Amino acid sequence: MKRTYLGEFEEIVLLTVVVLETSAYGVAITHEIIEQTGRSVRLNQVHAALQRLEEKGMVHSRMGEATAERGGRRKRLFTITAYGEQTLLEIQSVRTQLLSLLPRPLKPSLSI
Amino acid sequence: MSKHSKPEQPQPPYLADKLLKWFCAPHLLEELQGDLHEEYYYQLERMGKKRANWHYFREVIGFIRPFAIKRKTTPPTLPSTLPLQLDMFKNYLTIALRTLWRNKGYAAINSVGLSVAFCISIFLFLTAYLQLTFDSFHEEKDRIYQAYFFSNDPERASRSGGMPMPLAPTLKAEFEEVEAAARVMTLRKSSVAYQDKRMDKEVYMTDPDFLNMFSFPLLKGNKETAFSDLSSILISESLAQTLFGNDEPLGKVVQIGNEGKQKGYIVSGVLADAPYNSSIRYDAFIRIDNHPNFTHDQANWGSNSHKVFIKIAPQAKQATLENKLKLFSQKYFSSNIEVLQKKGAKPDKLGDIFALRLQPLTKVHFDTEISNGPPIAIVYALMGIAFFILLIACINFINLSVARSFTRAREVGVRKTLGALKSQLFVQIWSESTLLCFIGFLVGVLLAYQLLPEFNTMFNAQIKLAHIWEPGFIGLIVGVFFMVTLLAGGYPALLMAKFNPVEVLKGKISLKRPGFLRNSLIVMQFVMSSLLASCTLIALQQLDYLRTRPLGFVKEQVISIPVGNQENGRQVLKRMRAKLATDPTVLAVTGSGINLGRGKDRVTSRAVIAFTHKGQQIQTDWLLVDYDYLKTLQIPLQEGREFDPAYPSDSLDRIIISASMAKAMGGQELVGSYLRNEADSAGTKYQIIGVVPDFHLYNLSNGVIPITMHLSNTESIHYIFVRVASQNLKQSLDKLQHAWKEVAPQSEFIGTFLDENVNEWYREEEMLSQIFSLASGVAILLSCVGLFAMALLVTEQRTKEIGIRKVLGAGVPSLILLLSKDFIKLVLIALCMALPLAWFMMKQWLNEYPYRIEISLWIFVAVALAALLITFLTIGFQSMKAAFMNPVKSLRSE
Repeated sequence: MKRTYLGEFEEIVLLTVVVLETSAYGVAITHEIIEQTGRSVRLNQVHAALQRLEEKGMVHSRMGEATAERGGRRKRLFTITAYGEQTLLEIQSVRTQLLSLLPRPLKPSLSI
Repeated sequence: MSKHSKPEQPQPPYLADKLLKWFCAPHLLEELQGDLHEEYYYQLERMGKKRANWHYFREVIGFIRPFAIKRKTTPPTLPSTLPLQLDMFKNYLTIALRTLWRNKGYAAINSVGLSVAFCISIFLFLTAYLQLTFDSFHEEKDRIYQAYFFSNDPERASRSGGMPMPLAPTLKAEFEEVEAAARVMTLRKSSVAYQDKRMDKEVYMTDPDFLNMFSFPLLKGNKETAFSDLSSILISESLAQTLFGNDEPLGKVVQIGNEGKQKGYIVSGVLADAPYNSSIRYDAFIRIDNHPNFTHDQANWGSNSHKVFIKIAPQAKQATLENKLKLFSQKYFSSNIEVLQKKGAKPDKLGDIFALRLQPLTKVHFDTEISNGPPIAIVYALMGIAFFILLIACINFINLSVARSFTRAREVGVRKTLGALKSQLFVQIWSESTLLCFIGFLVGVLLAYQLLPEFNTMFNAQIKLAHIWEPGFIGLIVGVFFMVTLLAGGYPALLMAKFNPVEVLKGKISLKRPGFLRNSLIVMQFVMSSLLASCTLIALQQLDYLRTRPLGFVKEQVISIPVGNQENGRQVLKRMRAKLATDPTVLAVTGSGINLGRGKDRVTSRAVIAFTHKGQQIQTDWLLVDYDYLKTLQIPLQEGREFDPAYPSDSLDRIIISASMAKAMGGQELVGSYLRNEADSAGTKYQIIGVVPDFHLYNLSNGVIPITMHLSNTESIHYIFVRVASQNLKQSLDKLQHAWKEVAPQSEFIGTFLDENVNEWYREEEMLSQIFSLASGVAILLSCVGLFAMALLVTEQRTKEIGIRKVLGAGVPSLILLLSKDFIKLVLIALCMALPLAWFMMKQWLNEYPYRIEISLWIFVAVALAALLITFLTIGFQSMKAAFMNPVKSLRSE
């Protein structure tokens, strides 16, 4: 099966797109991530990630409507694609599976 | 969300925005800038303007990442407006090729015309180039001069290049500016022998300075010592090859000199062969001290036997030196000045009656008096004709393009409405014509390459296409090519680019109005071609007149045989007489010192002497003849008798003179009287035994020359003339050749008929008139091609009109007249301008000939009729086609 690679940051952005549903665009996504994770994220990083995600086919975009604080410019609204959802599920299942295989306690063994 | 809509609302930093616009890909700009602005206002509220601005900056700079930056292959940008972008140019080329392919006929007419014009002008330019670069290969050419005497004779100021023996050494000794001086002397061809090989070659006599002056490369031998010995000989590469093959030539001994007077010379060097454009064309050089009369003439300032070249110091000036030479002339040539003064000579504007002057080496070739090159006007005429022909081809090109531009107006209109700029249209149409020009040029060069051998044999020229690669010539060709494309392609392109699209698409651009420019161009074309045609006709007539004019002797059926230097002419003549005595087809045999006309040995010579008779100076040609000279050449006797072996003293001091000599002596009944040089106290008295009518020893352009014939027992006979009676001349020639082997075994038989020899006198005129004929033929042809194409276009454009006229009852003749009358009118105007001009020009030219034709009116009538006829035929064909066309067909279309 073809493996899909998704960077950690990309994964977060993708998840945020899902969370924001119909109003996922650059600024909103950035603010949501800052709010939810506490990381200091910048617009340009988010845009770069969104660009890559779109190239990989994880998200789909269309131009939305304009608002005043944007000086009459339109926003690009992102929605997740079925493939993106599938990928997220796969990542989750891999993690769950791996976590279930962990010996307890979750400590590295020091014995040689 | 919108809380900031007041006008004093702070804006994101302008510079940052500008930066973003600059680097950001256009299709991303809107969303990115939107997001950035939104973020800015968000931050503005939270942390104030300063920090928000700072934040904005950092964000913008953060966007300098691959995905956001403009890349070259980003989705389609707007087409550039620059006309000369490379891919656009490719596009123009494709379009041009397609258009040309669609209009094959038009393209063919144009490129054929251009290629013929280019081919001819390449030939003419090459010929002119070769002439203009004569002697320019010498490295120090700017410092080399040929000395000549100027004498302001009251009859005619003249110049002469023959110098006395002591001149060169004296010049070198008396003037420090003169770095080197070399006497250059050639007699008739000398016999060169090595072992059993013998041949006649051009052996020059010169001074050791020769090698320091001229740049003929010395291939073998030492420049310093090559001429140090009196018996040294320098030979040319090709002579070395013929004499010694692949053997080492240095140190070999060759015999130079005519029979009985041979001397051995040691080869001390091998010179490269002289290039074609060299005035000095040699086979070998020996020291001038070897000349038989050297010791006698060494201090004789009165002899004029050779050319003198001098090289002046780099800082010296010609004018200064010539000024100093005035004193020099007064010192050494006082007697010449006195004689001239007695005759009534006045000083010229430089204050000289007789002076030694200098001609720069590069001009020597065109100085018809001191060298035998063509007058420089001829070279310019050739170049002028080349330009004429190119111009005619250009005019064709322009006319056709302009005429066709009306048919193409719609295309231009559509392109313009679709947004094509004027500059783009110009480049597009111009590239089309440049392509045509280029094709024409390529075909022309190929044609020239193919026809070069024919051209060379036809005009006896020596041009080589290799000269094309010389920088001067490349410059000329590139210049001409650009001129043609600019002139022929540029104007129509400009015209079409200027069309107003609205008017074009409404159909308001007139299709029929010929335009002043087109008419004047056609007129110009015909002025040039009829000018050339009438000049050529007159020149041919004059040439024919010179050729057929009686020369005073009968040149038909006489064979002239050069004796060569290997045999004694007197002995050969004696044996020849004995051998042919019984042959019934041989009418007479004689010998002479000079040839008549120019035979295969290419030698012409002349001996002139001056008598002071009854206080008057008489110049006469001094002609050595043998018994039967008058009989062989069928020169009648006016008075007296011919030389006769029965009178022994005939070969001592008896002479026969020509009528103009008799006139110069101022008398009737001269037979029996004496001619003697009164100035010469010991002078022999010559008794006149006969008078003959004038005859021409030389080209008719020399006019009538007084001739004095004498016999001799000792002077060399160089030519043998044989008059044959046979109808089969070829057979006679073969018979003579056979006999020659026995009477003169050492000498090659190069006999020719006198009438052929005489024609050779006019070779230059003939070559020129042939070039003129070719040029005028091409010019007329090109003009006709242009006219034909023009007629084609006009009838095409007027098809509908013709149809309507036909339907309304116009007859075929009136239609043909309608179509051709415009062109006929133009040709008539052209003729009115060209013919008087031709008359004037040829009048000037003919004035140079003492024997000349009167320009007859019928030549102009003939040229005019021919021009009109050709025009009518060219256009008539098209008009006829149009007139006979079924009007239903032409009216139904569209």
